[in-house]
Amino acid sequence: MTPNASSASSAPSRRSFLASTAVVTAAVAGGMPLLSACGGSDSGSRDGATSGKAAEKLLPTYVASTVAQPDIPSKNGSSAGYTGKVDLGALVASVPDKLGTGAPFKIMSPFWGTPPKAGCAYYAGLDAAAGTKITWQNQDGNTYGQKLGAVLASSSIPDMVVVPGWELVGKIANAVTAKFMDLGPYLAGDKVKKYPNLAAIPSDAWRMGIFGGALRGIPMPSAPASSIVPYYRKDIFDKKGYEVPKSAAEFLSWAKEATSAKAKVWACGDMSWSSGGIFGVRPSGSLGWNIGDDGKLTYRIEDPAYLEALEWTRKLFDAGVVHPDDKARSGDAGQRFTAGQILVFNTDTSAWYGKTAEQAQSNPEFIIEGMDIFGADGGDPKLWAAQPAGIWSMIRKGASKATIENALAAADFAAAPYGTKERMLVDYGIEGTHYTVKDGVPVKSDLGNSEVLNAWGMLSAPAPYYAHPDFPDIARKQAEWQQRMGAFMKKTSTYGMNIVEPTRYANLSSQFEQLELDYVRGNRKLSEVQAAISTWKSSGGDKLRDWYKQLIDQNGSGN
Amino acid sequence: MSLTAGSRPDGTRSVAAVEEPTAAVGAATATGRVARRTRKAAREGKVPWRVRLRRDRTLILMTLPVILLLVLFNYVPLLGNVVAFQDYDPYVSSNGITAIFHSPWVGVEQFSRMVDDPLFWSAVKNTILLFSLQLVLFFPIPIALALLINSVIRPRVRAVAQAIMYLPHFFSWVLVVTVFQQIFGGAGIIAQTLEKHGWTGFDLMTNSDLFKYLVTAQAVWKDAGWGIIVFLAALAAVSTDLYEAAAMDGAGRWRRMWHVTLPALRPVIALLLVLRVGDALSVGFEQFLLQRDAVGVGASEVLDTYVWNMGIQNGDFSYAAAVGLVKGAIGVCLVLAANKFAHLLGEQGVYKK
Repeated sequence: MTPNASSASSAPSRRSFLASTAVVTAAVAGGMPLLSACGGSDSGSRDGATSGKAAEKLLPTYVASTVAQPDIPSKNGSSAGYTGKVDLGALVASVPDKLGTGAPFKIMSPFWGTPPKAGCAYYAGLDAAAGTKITWQNQDGNTYGQKLGAVLASSSIPDMVVVPGWELVGKIANAVTAKFMDLGPYLAGDKVKKYPNLAAIPSDAWRMGIFGGALRGIPMPSAPASSIVPYYRKDIFDKKGYEVPKSAAEFLSWAKEATSAKAKVWACGDMSWSSGGIFGVRPSGSLGWNIGDDGKLTYRIEDPAYLEALEWTRKLFDAGVVHPDDKARSGDAGQRFTAGQILVFNTDTSAWYGKTAEQAQSNPEFIIEGMDIFGADGGDPKLWAAQPAGIWSMIRKGASKATIENALAAADFAAAPYGTKERMLVDYGIEGTHYTVKDGVPVKSDLGNSEVLNAWGMLSAPAPYYAHPDFPDIARKQAEWQQRMGAFMKKTSTYGMNIVEPTRYANLSSQFEQLELDYVRGNRKLSEVQAAISTWKSSGGDKLRDWYKQLIDQNGSGN
Repeated sequence: MSLTAGSRPDGTRSVAAVEEPTAAVGAATATGRVARRTRKAAREGKVPWRVRLRRDRTLILMTLPVILLLVLFNYVPLLGNVVAFQDYDPYVSSNGITAIFHSPWVGVEQFSRMVDDPLFWSAVKNTILLFSLQLVLFFPIPIALALLINSVIRPRVRAVAQAIMYLPHFFSWVLVVTVFQQIFGGAGIIAQTLEKHGWTGFDLMTNSDLFKYLVTAQAVWKDAGWGIIVFLAALAAVSTDLYEAAAMDGAGRWRRMWHVTLPALRPVIALLLVLRVGDALSVGFEQFLLQRDAVGVGASEVLDTYVWNMGIQNGDFSYAAAVGLVKGAIGVCLVLAANKFAHLLGEQGVYKK
């Protein structure tokens, strides 16, 4: 269980991440341990955080984009939504001149799916449009952390590297500061204006790009509002006359009613991620630290809500309402959902569109809806804000000026807002080759589906938004769900700060993910979880608390 | 095995090989020490190593590429084990190798951490338990299958049977686990059939008590067929004259197997047993990693998954290296012990004295 938006997204996003191009930006909430650095300069400490005035000096000036305005603006930390059709004939250019100079450079990025060949029509076309000459090193996204760890320990780091927050485990977090360059000289203050799309990235997201006291990461902004949705099969709910549950107890009793192993129907998949939202558990990583109303600084596992959420999830497993394959963590819960074997499952917001589009032809009755997260007792939920960015692209130390400028040009191109020529190229490729326009809606061809995946989309992104020209209603639902959930959202004391913990604490909390998995499945006892929490405190947790206390005193609280 | 028997590819027997049987007879009759000296004299006294080097140069040249690969990929990386005595940070320097020189030395701290970690001991316990189970339940099966296949006369039936038995070896563990999940899982074929007849709650895949038998069954299904190859090769080497002679003397089917077939297999069985015991602490990796969450770490953590989790997942390379080093050291001891045991039984084992 990795409750709530932020860290929870790491797992689903690794697999389903960027399954559909249009959700690129909104798909991912934060990463896990969001890092950073303490007021120091390059030579200073690699751990800590930089915020407040010290951070403002490092940030690029914000210049809002004036291209297409969303009809559902961002509210309560939600993503924006575009529900109107964009006139594909009248797309504007967000980058007036080609910023790339054609100097060749290498990019390593995580890739979910089969990478296209070097020099394919998509890569060639995008290079031509951006004026770049990129050699892509697309690495399997599911094992990217291992690759990243090895590459950072080698003496040949690619010029530009995409670093997802959830891979910043162990000593990698600290390595970022050592291996990647300060982009301040190219982006701080008004210098960013050379790259209009990067300038339009919100400052909150940029602040997350500060590592080791310098701006090192070009962020992919994400919405702080919840992004883990408990989805349900509205068509089946309606047919069976089920009411959508409104409390933890209601959910359990509904689940028992809805489960029929004989008919091969189980109520739900593993609801651990949702249980975090229902019981108000804080995300893992630095966001898990918060100063409570009593003035005490605690980590998420010390909060009574943590055990409550785990115990509720275990009740679901014990009651036999969770699909056995979810208990065994085998196969894909999304497929069981579309097959009607489970009626509720949770994953990130991108599935709302992904499943709708996927089932539209083969299963016209299929309706996927997002349940509003309810409070455990039926009241309002207590949700915690995710970090405003959790994936970065970075440029290696020692890269030449020409390489840096071309890398920034590529990032700027990838950050083009919705409704621009650049965005269309990044998300859909080249018209006629990768997609065709039917009734004003772009439809990808087979080549488009195999080549236009998630390479360019990883470099950066505009402020988070939802837009699905083929299913505009889904974009509205996604944005509105986030707005409703965002209304119950609070920020922890560590929100908005990129915090790098000292390496000696790197593995202090690493056992909890497995412990949670095992406990809810009945393979560990509650007493073992409690014992792990006291071990955590005595073996460094209390010292880490002092470290955070000092950090928050120095930087100010994030809430 | 034939490689150590001293016969040369061209069919001529080397001097040393001819001399060998004499020495062996000596060893049987005289006391051990004298025997060893006699054999040493027989081998080295008469043919100096220089001569042997010149004589076997073609063979030695042929092995060179493999030796180079072994040195490069198996021996040179061994040097990296020094990080087990450090608090290794691969990122302190410009690359991971020079980082070794910049990482602080911590002595045996990683090893004492290991001794104090209950998870480590749980992994050791599971590993030994699974190894014993595999030895009893898995090891004899390929031998039995080989005897069975060998008794099939019709070539077509034999080929088809062999193909079917080999096939699962080429499936990845992901596939094997998925197939088992579809059959023995809580929503699998068996559970569904039972459900229709009123029995509920069958789910073999998430039962942590039966997990050890489940993984052994998976291993048998996947690899037992593949394991028969080496035994079949040994069986093919048995001269049919022996069977005919035995049959002439009135030996029945079982007596022929007992007195001809099994003695022929004995050296191979002993060799494989020694190798298996030496590898006792490696009971599988992917298989356990894939089913880790289904039954919990309490039942599924073995040494290899423990090392992976600590080293690769958590990035704690020094600790993982320390655990790996201990595992390797124990493996060496086990090989030596098992080989000794094979010698006591009168078999050659993996090497000779």
